[in-house]
Amino acid sequence: MSGDDNDNESNYAYGKRTLAPHLLKEKDYSALEELFRHHIESFDHMVEYGIETMLLNIKPVQVFHPLSNQKLRNILFYHLITAWFGSLTDTILWFGKPEIFPPQTERQLRTMKDALYPFECRQARISYTGTFMMDICFQYGDGAVIREKFNFGQFPIMLKSKLCYLRNLPPKKLVSLKEEQSEMGGYFILNGLERVVRLLILPKRNYPTSMVRNSFRERREGYTDKAVVIRCVREDQSAVSLRLYYLSNGSARLAFWIQGREYMLPVGVMLKALADTTDHEIFACLTSCYDDNYDCVKGSVGSQLVGERAKIILDEVQDLSLFTHKQCLQHIGEHFQPVMIGLENESPSVVAAAVLKDYIFVHLDNNHDKFNLLIFMVQKLFSLVDHTSMPDNPDSLQNHEVLLPGHLITIYLKEKLQEWLLKTKNLLQDEANSSNKFDINSLADIKKLIEKNSPKQISSAIDNMLKTGTLLTQSGLDLQQRAGMTVQAERLNFLRFLSHFRAVHRGSSFAGLRTTTVRKLLPESWGFLCPVHTPDGEPCGLLNHMSSSCRITSYYDNKGNVRDFLKTRMSILSVLVGVGMTPSLPKLVQAGPPKVLSVLLDGRVVGSIPSDLVEKAVTHMRRLKLSATAQIPEDLEVGYVPLSMCGAYPGLFLFTSPSRFVRPVRNISIPPEEGNKFELIGPFEQVYMEISCPDGGGGGRKSMFPATHEEIHPTGILSVVANLTPWSDHNQSPRNMYQCQMGKQTMGFPSQALHSRADQKLYHLQTPQTPIVRTKAYEKYHIDEFPLGTNAIVAVLAYSGYDMEDAMVLNKSSVERGMFHGHIYQTETIDLTEQRSNSGHGQRIFRRSNLDKSSQHLVDSDGLPYVGQRIKPNEPYCSIYNEITSSTSSTKLKGSESVVVDYVAVDVKNKNNLQKVNIRFRRPRNPIIGDKFSSRHGQKGVCSQLWPDIDMPFAGLTGMRPDLIINPHAFPSRMTIGMLLESIAAKGGALHGKFMDATPFTSLLKKGNEGQESESSSLVDELGSMLTAYGFNYHGSEVLYSGVYGTELTCEIFIGPVYYQRLRHMVSDKFQVRSTGTVDQITRQPIKGRKRGGGIRFGEMERDSLLAHGAAYLLHDRLHISSDHHVADVCSICGSLLTTSLIPTKQRAIREIIGLPPGRIPKKVMCVACQTSKGMETVAMPYVFRYLAAELAAMNIKMTLQLSSGAEA
Amino acid sequence: MEGRSYQRFPTVKIRELKNDYAKFELRDTDASIANALRRVMIAEVPTIAIDLVEIEVNSSVLNDEFIAHRLGLIPLTSERAMSMRFSRDCDACDGDGQCEYCSVEFHLRAKCLNDQTLDVTSRELISSDPSVVPVDFASPSSEYDNAENRGIMIVKLRRGQELRLRAIARKGIGKDHAKWSPAATVTFMYEPEIYINEDMMEKLTLEQRMSVVESSPTKVFDIDAKTGRVVVVDPEAYTYDDEVIKKCESLNAPGLVEVHPKEDSFIFTVESTGAIKASQLVLNAIDILKQKLDAVRLSEDTVEADEQFLELDAHMRGG
Repeated sequence: MSGDDNDNESNYAYGKRTLAPHLLKEKDYSALEELFRHHIESFDHMVEYGIETMLLNIKPVQVFHPLSNQKLRNILFYHLITAWFGSLTDTILWFGKPEIFPPQTERQLRTMKDALYPFECRQARISYTGTFMMDICFQYGDGAVIREKFNFGQFPIMLKSKLCYLRNLPPKKLVSLKEEQSEMGGYFILNGLERVVRLLILPKRNYPTSMVRNSFRERREGYTDKAVVIRCVREDQSAVSLRLYYLSNGSARLAFWIQGREYMLPVGVMLKALADTTDHEIFACLTSCYDDNYDCVKGSVGSQLVGERAKIILDEVQDLSLFTHKQCLQHIGEHFQPVMIGLENESPSVVAAAVLKDYIFVHLDNNHDKFNLLIFMVQKLFSLVDHTSMPDNPDSLQNHEVLLPGHLITIYLKEKLQEWLLKTKNLLQDEANSSNKFDINSLADIKKLIEKNSPKQISSAIDNMLKTGTLLTQSGLDLQQRAGMTVQAERLNFLRFLSHFRAVHRGSSFAGLRTTTVRKLLPESWGFLCPVHTPDGEPCGLLNHMSSSCRITSYYDNKGNVRDFLKTRMSILSVLVGVGMTPSLPKLVQAGPPKVLSVLLDGRVVGSIPSDLVEKAVTHMRRLKLSATAQIPEDLEVGYVPLSMCGAYPGLFLFTSPSRFVRPVRNISIPPEEGNKFELIGPFEQVYMEISCPDGGGGGRKSMFPATHEEIHPTGILSVVANLTPWSDHNQSPRNMYQCQMGKQTMGFPSQALHSRADQKLYHLQTPQTPIVRTKAYEKYHIDEFPLGTNAIVAVLAYSGYDMEDAMVLNKSSVERGMFHGHIYQTETIDLTEQRSNSGHGQRIFRRSNLDKSSQHLVDSDGLPYVGQRIKPNEPYCSIYNEITSSTSSTKLKGSESVVVDYVAVDVKNKNNLQKVNIRFRRPRNPIIGDKFSSRHGQKGVCSQLWPDIDMPFAGLTGMRPDLIINPHAFPSRMTIGMLLESIAAKGGALHGKFMDATPFTSLLKKGNEGQESESSSLVDELGSMLTAYGFNYHGSEVLYSGVYGTELTCEIFIGPVYYQRLRHMVSDKFQVRSTGTVDQITRQPIKGRKRGGGIRFGEMERDSLLAHGAAYLLHDRLHISSDHHVADVCSICGSLLTTSLIPTKQRAIREIIGLPPGRIPKKVMCVACQTSKGMETVAMPYVFRYLAAELAAMNIKMTLQLSSGAEA
Repeated sequence: MEGRSYQRFPTVKIRELKNDYAKFELRDTDASIANALRRVMIAEVPTIAIDLVEIEVNSSVLNDEFIAHRLGLIPLTSERAMSMRFSRDCDACDGDGQCEYCSVEFHLRAKCLNDQTLDVTSRELISSDPSVVPVDFASPSSEYDNAENRGIMIVKLRRGQELRLRAIARKGIGKDHAKWSPAATVTFMYEPEIYINEDMMEKLTLEQRMSVVESSPTKVFDIDAKTGRVVVVDPEAYTYDDEVIKKCESLNAPGLVEVHPKEDSFIFTVESTGAIKASQLVLNAIDILKQKLDAVRLSEDTVEADEQFLELDAHMRGG
């Protein structure tokens, strides 16, 4: 081609010289990769460092041998373990050096192992897992450490993670491995199914939030509804939440959970236990936030009551007769001894140290830091109580972060390892206590015992968690929910697939809440969560999607290097000190807002900064964020909460942690020559920043707060899916939401590697097109690889009467030419090994019966169907030979439509005889009446007729007939102006032979640059002049002639191409019809269920409507004759329905004697109770009535009928 | 009423005629006749198209139905179509559509043997009847170079893929399936009559006249360079979009320009798919229209139907 392949995106010239963008050779999928990155990075980190870090935090266990009094310690071992050795004097046992291997195939030859690729897993319905090996280390007393490698089973591996073979492969290579060209990974393959870990919203880590909740009152007597809550997260991602409750007497209680029980400690005890200081010092610290000089001025948080409360806190400790640091520790130790596992026999001070380490501010490793943070929290609590600061909103994104897959797996793995270690310890202990044969000094014995408590269950636990999404955990892992952690990544179409990775769920615990506050769209989520892309209905507002520009911080920087948080924190500290912060290290500064502000770095009080220096410091930090040289991470969150009158609690909160939301904005306060201007900001800091959006006005911003930042593009607030709606800024907002839903239900091109996929069900559109009118995001994310619709010529008119109420008329000829043709690919897996267990061993093989010739045209001699063969319902497509019974059984096609065999894949793992096959069927799904279609503007409709081409209206000039007719009533109330614009633009684009850009909000940007110009008219002008240039009407309407009469239609008709999607809801999968069929055994009424050929219930409301119409005969027909009509014999003497019985008639002889012509012999019935057949009558009734009588009889209730003839009544 | 004849003698004037394109005037008749002609051309002139495909080998990326559908849509030269039989009416083969009177057999064999992608096009279809072959677009218009014009693409094969099939083409009409429609486009428009009120035009300034001229998206009017008068240059370019009339109203001069469609004359544009020549398409359509009318006239039911209609008529009038 002519060397302008590098032309930027604005050039879509579709001439002979330049290739269309979807045909360009080199494709850049980096924008797409970015969307999936948080999944992969978190998993990468877990594999590379996360597990090792986590092992460090697992406590070693000790086993005591009762005879030799030897101790055996068993710990997860880690190479830094040397630091521990000083303290370990006894015999020990522990774990170490985790290693996960890339997935490999299981082969008979143990030595030869081949790589196992994802596509094999999908087809063979196995899991993409790698072997998880880890050392278990033993130490006897002070002896040398013995390492022993153990296999911890098959660990699920995320696609495109560092352990995956697909990592860093070029698109061509991916195609050769039967993947998508643009395969993004980020999911697991378990039993052939692709599963994604759902991103969950969690409270922001290491940030104390003040909360007001009525449920706090119910904790115990004297508690108020106010508390400060902090979720502390360790380096290994496990979290412990702490609450500081305010008591009505002015004191506070620090609460935390151990094994599902909440323990509350007086805060004074904890303060004293954390730091060995005097009461006076604690008092000074607590009251430091109050200064007489600043009472009730802007930004002051303390009040005179602070002193009183501090006294009460200290008095409380005294009342417990705890005076010193040691006594407090002793108190804590004694209190918690029973619940601390493994420390039952330790001294209280050791227990207390463990409590402080494991439950109190676990993100900090220094008691002094913990003390400072607790002081800060108490101050914040008091300020909340005094109403000098507002409570934080727990539903606001400001106080949120996300749970990433890697982190979830790490904490779950940690718990499982801890459980396993304890169990192993108990096993060893029991064995050591009871058995004489067991030699604790023999490694072989111990190994045997360990294998008994199979270490492989660890990986299978992870595997199960990902498969089911359920956490089987004792502690709850500090998470709100235990189910629904993973979902299947459906490849219905690309948008749906992609959305799974961008969705963030608020947590299923909120789904049941009756209040709607959690579902509200809050301004804090601006730019991070898409305001448009949330489903309506039950999960509305709970299941959100990240905006297209939103990212999640990880352990890796943008160059792919692992971050050293220790180092960055140190350099941030030095920067802070450089701008005037007083570090808290030697002594806490005894002052508070508004004079100085506390500085918290990742939940550690690092110092305080004079309030007049803060703003300068913040701008300095922001500038350093952008410079590449400084040791300041680019995604550092500089949360400066300014002084205010009773606003949020002031302070400077810095965050470097992973799993925060960030998004780029342009920093306009720094001079342009300083290179990179895109600053990553988080939701916490965003609230206090001045970011201008190009909407023309200043956004209500006052001149005293000039904008320091600027949005990059207004579309950055929309999710990827919402970004694909053309001119969504011209639509009524709910329509855009509907489109986000429908875009994900569209039958499109789900996969380029369709031929090697074995999904249960795949929807496939045969002739998709690229839209003429598209947004910039369309090319950016390469949606052309997975197109989802057709440019259909749409006429907006009321024609034929079949387009009422959102019905639409399709042109029959267009459909016959291939418009919206599609297929469903459905895969059946037949695994003979599955049923083997109940019928012996290996005797079933695929083979055709030689005797039965009838199925030979359907099934080949190998027992499998011919590819390309059409199979009708109830015909066999697969036959299985049982070697023992030497009988052949065949699998028959279910359903009521015929299918075509598309593909047969066999699993050749077992070379001797096939045991597993995938048979893929193809079900044609060409448009028929009842299928659902929609435009990209939330305008859905059902095809009501396939109208003959000649009867369609036609344009006089061009002779064109529309592909599709929709009713004009679809527009006034829905106000989808974007669709009208799309029609005009597509018409113009088609005439000029170019793609049209329909990115929303572009006019805002233009206006910003060019000054005042009416935006809507300019867009229409632009499009209208394109039409007039080719002699078409400016407004996109044309004169049409009736196809039936040949006369001109009285109005000009709006006609033009609109990109239409075919939705997956098709009548062929849904229609339900029944004339006769199976009935229920008990009631003799027709059964329900489409699959079984049942009917649709004619329910009470339907009955009501027939009654209202007076259609009694019809009602009788529906509810009785067509249902469970029954003629019962009733004894009119006793009124019983059940006591009748047939008499075996011998009266035939009598009949013959009389000489009547042979006719139907009347059934002779008699009542068993009355012993006579005199009063027998036949009564028509629903059969259920008889059943009711029987049921009542079973309860010893007799039902009698009183018969009277209808005439008498 | 009695005796008065509505008979008219429509005239056809051919304006332009190419193999696949025809433009003609139809005068002295009604819209019903014009539309009937259009409808017949689209939906009832028979052509031949592939209707039955037996696939022997298909290892291409497209599935069997897809290929069969694509084959069906390939236009075949159908001069024979009028004289052929519908396979459902064929006596020779009992309607199974395998005889020479009602069907044409095609074969296609293609296999890609080298690394270059093989394009299987309509040229690879081998016909049993030399008069029924895929339409060749290359020969009449030489403006496209032959390298680019290799027939209609059916499927692309890569190394090792193969397509082998037998197809049977049959006669059919567009009503049954769009593949049998010989017409790509058939349209007609009413011939417009444009009156310019010169007196009123005189009162307008030149600028206003220009705006009148430019209000029409198509070039219908122009300004005479010498006299500065608005003249109609191409009445047929008028699309009945009423833009000019609206413009005149906005200039406070309603009735300045008036356009009336002539109820009895039509300008037809016919584009053929190539299956039959455009001229033949029109002639065939007229034939078929005649046959249809004959069928109505000769039908014994007509008399009864007339009686029925009379009854209905009386009923309607009687109220």
